[in-house]
This record gives sequence, C-alpha cells and structure tokens, in this order.
Amino acid sequence: MSFASFWNRNIGAARLAILSHLEYRIDFFVDAIVQPTLSTGIELAMWASILTVGGLTQLNGFSRASYLSYILWALFVGRVSANWAYEMEMDEEIESGTINAILLRPISFYEYYLSQFLGYKISTLFISFACPMIVTLVFPTTVIWSRFPGMLALLFFYLFFVHTLSFCVSCLGFFITRVKGITGMKNMALWVLTGESFPLDLIPEPYKAYVLHLPFASGVYFPVAYLTGRVGAEELMQAFVSVAVGIVVVSIFAWLMWRRGLREYSGIGA
Amino acid sequence: MSIVISTHDLCRTYRTYRKADGILNSIKGFWSRQYEEKRALLPTNLTIEAGQIVGLVGANGAGKTTLLKLLSGLIHPSSGGAEVLGYSPWQRKSDFLRQISLLLGQKSQLWWDLPAADSFGLLARIYDLPPEQARRDYQELAERLRCTDQLHVQLRRLSLGERMKMEIIGSLLHRPRILFLDEPTIGLDVMAQKTIRDFLSDYVKTNSPTILLTSHYMDDISQLADRLLLISHGSMVYDGTVDSFVASQVANMSNEQTDFENVIRVFLEQEYRSR
Repeated sequence: MSFASFWNRNIGAARLAILSHLEYRIDFFVDAIVQPTLSTGIELAMWASILTVGGLTQLNGFSRASYLSYILWALFVGRVSANWAYEMEMDEEIESGTINAILLRPISFYEYYLSQFLGYKISTLFISFACPMIVTLVFPTTVIWSRFPGMLALLFFYLFFVHTLSFCVSCLGFFITRVKGITGMKNMALWVLTGESFPLDLIPEPYKAYVLHLPFASGVYFPVAYLTGRVGAEELMQAFVSVAVGIVVVSIFAWLMWRRGLREYSGIGA
Repeated sequence: MSIVISTHDLCRTYRTYRKADGILNSIKGFWSRQYEEKRALLPTNLTIEAGQIVGLVGANGAGKTTLLKLLSGLIHPSSGGAEVLGYSPWQRKSDFLRQISLLLGQKSQLWWDLPAADSFGLLARIYDLPPEQARRDYQELAERLRCTDQLHVQLRRLSLGERMKMEIIGSLLHRPRILFLDEPTIGLDVMAQKTIRDFLSDYVKTNSPTILLTSHYMDDISQLADRLLLISHGSMVYDGTVDSFVASQVANMSNEQTDFENVIRVFLEQEYRSR
C-alpha cells in the first residue's frame, strides 16, 4: 500500500467529518462558536468577580490580566482538545455493531476516527479561535503572539494522545458493551486534569508536580500557559515529552485491547 | 474452477448472559451472572469454487449469518479455520478486504448523514479507486437499479428500497471477487425485490463474482443460486442443487404443490418442530 493511498483515504475520512457536520448548520454554528463563547463569558465573569471581591491584583504570582487571559483561551483550547463527541460515536459503533461497516473495509477503526477527529478539529479550530483572538486584540491580555505556533503544535500533538485514549476507552465496549458512563467519568477527570476548569499551577505541591507531569496537562494548561506567558519554552518541551510517553503507553494498551476485543466481538446486529 | 473458499471444522460459539426476570434478579446480576454458551455454527467443512452462486437457507438462528460473518472476517472462530481467496479472513488483511464485500440487509453500511454520492466518493478513496472511474461506475450501477435521482439525497431520507439499492451500489463499487449477501431483499415490496433480483442476476452474468447469498425469499435463491446449502441448528444438512433438493423431497409431499417455496416451507416447519 502506497503512502499516497494511505493519505488519500485519510483525507477522505476527514472530508467526511466536515461534510457530515456541515449538513447540520445550526448545530455546527452552536458547537463551534455559541457554546464556547457563552461558557467563556460565564467563566470570565466568575473569575473577574473572585479577583474583584477578593481585592486581588495578583494570585499565586500571576496578575489579574494573566488569569483572565488564561480563562479566555482555556475554554476555546479545551473545545479543540476534547474528544468526547467522537468517543461517544466510537462507543456507539461498537455497542450497536455499526462498526461492522468499518471492519469490512480496508481502513482501520483507529485511523478512520482519527482522520475524522482531526478533520473536524482543524475545520472548527480557526472559527473557534476567532472569538478569543478578537477579544485579545480589543482588551489588554498577556498573550504573546509569537508563541502561537508553539501552542498550536503542542495542541495538535495532544490530539493524537487524546484520540488514542478515546480509542482505548471505546475498546472496552467489546467486553462490557456499554461504556458511556466510563467516557463521562473520564471526561470529568480530563476537565480538571487538562487545566480547563482552572490553571493547574494553583494546585498545591507536591500534587502540582505530579499533575503537570501527566500528558493530560498538555490538553489545555501547557498550550494556554505558554501562550499567555505563565510558562516558558522549557516547560513546553517537557509537555511534548509527556505527551509522547503518553501516546506510547496508551497505544500499547489500545493495541492489546483491540486485538482481544476483536476475538470477543460477535458482529452485533447483523 | 479454483477453490476460493474452504473451511476446516469451522466453528463458532457465542457466550450470552442469561438473566431471570425481575428487579431482584437484576440486582443479583451485579455480583453473580449466569452465562450460557450457544454453538451457532458446529464444525463445518465446505469448499466453494470461483464464480459459484451459493444460496444459504435455514431458519432464523440456524447459523447462516454467523457463517457469513466468519468468512468475511467480521468475527473470529471459536475453533477450526478457513481460507478465503488464500487469506485467513479474520486477520483482515487490506488486500483481502479489497476483494470482498458483505452486504447486510438489516444494517446500513453507508453514511446516514450524507447523500449516497458523497459516501461513494469516500468509498472510492478507501478502496483507492480512480475518482473518475468510481463516478462512472456508481452512475452506471444507479441507472441499472433505477435510482439515479436519489444519489444526491441524504441517506436517512430515502425509503428502505432506495436505501438498499444504494447499499448494493456501495458494496459493488470496488468490484469484489466475493460477495456475501445477507438478506439483501428483506422488508422490500415485491417490485423492489424483483428489481434487485434482476439486477443481481444481470450483474452475475457480466462480472462473474462468487456469491454467498442468504434470504428468506425463496425466489431470490431459486432465481440466483446454482448451489443450495441448507443449514439447521448450526450444521449443513444439504449441499446440492435446488432442483435435486426439490426432487428429493417430492415423495414426502403428497397433495401439495411441489415447488421450491413449498419444499423449503416444509423443511422449516420440521426445523421449528425439532427445537
């Protein structure tokens, strides 16, 4: 099989994701813009109130502008790095047996969903980022624009990790059929561990060190903290290493579960 | 003729959770569950030559679909083995998957949210087909199935018959050498059944694929199949031609019309009585 045909079919799956989402225009618009904008508004209001009521100009060594910048970007970056919607679809495919259509075709389940996930994320990324970018241009923030490519690179790398993790969770469906509860629990944990809910540098030591060494922190905290000046290039590199190790470890589990799962699979629904 | 499918004691057992009814038993099921094993396919030895059209007939739960799922590589066997086009199906090698197709009448395999034309475009990429050739092919197949007007309508908005035609086009687009058809006319009206049957009959004449076909409509089998396999409780109980089977059963069928449909009906009635 040539690289061209590999590339061609993955472009096809990514295109499928974009086409499918554009079929439902309102849902696409709400998902890409309205929902993160509303969530950001709520979070910004909450943090601004905490800092104002507490009379704080600094918290844990960082300025008010730094916190508000972090919150502004964290929710949009969190939208990009989250994979719960595709994970739910993958869970459903295995639970209902619609995975049959993929198993019978020369494309792997992992690859098929990775391409769709990346295709959708890349297509919504620039639409979603328009909102914090406009706010950043209008209001004073601590964003360092020269760091934007580094932030994007880490975020893109993290997408491979989070997809592999989702693949692993969905493979549980081969054994216990319904895994949506596990997906929900995992997403709740990621909401905290990625740093979407609050900056991870607020966690007291020694827990902070443990959490920052996990690959999850590269989902929101490191990209946003790097962009808004809370961490430097050294921490960014450490985040790349954590994600790389995470991908290797989770891939091993995913491979074992997939192989074992296919042996258990009974081709449901056919 | 070369052998394209061969099985050696191919066998599949399913393990299922058996739950007594009621809330108390549901609670008990949290820590104690009873499982039972059902042998869906008993050790089966079978060879099929290239270009044969094999009709697989049996009652619900007899093991027909399990056999198709095993031979297409969708599921692993519990024991035994099989070779399809020289491959072990459940290894799901890309070169193997490019040469087969499994059409499941009860399960859509195209993309629900997209018009069929977009799905065919994606299939062309997955199977690495030249886009122009794929477009020509699906348009030609759509013309033969009389569904050209529906190519650009979202799949979820099509009727069952129209959807099945699209599924058939999707399963033939990469010109498979082996076609597994699991109840391709299920739930369709008489005219839609006839259109699909005539189309398949015509397709077989021009493309000569090997076909394994299951159906509960005996017209499908009698019109298309040149070999009949009867399966009962996971075992092959007859392997021959439709005509030979009818002839062998005539003696037991006094005062009845001895066409294929009736002969199979009697066979299925006996099958149900023996359960």
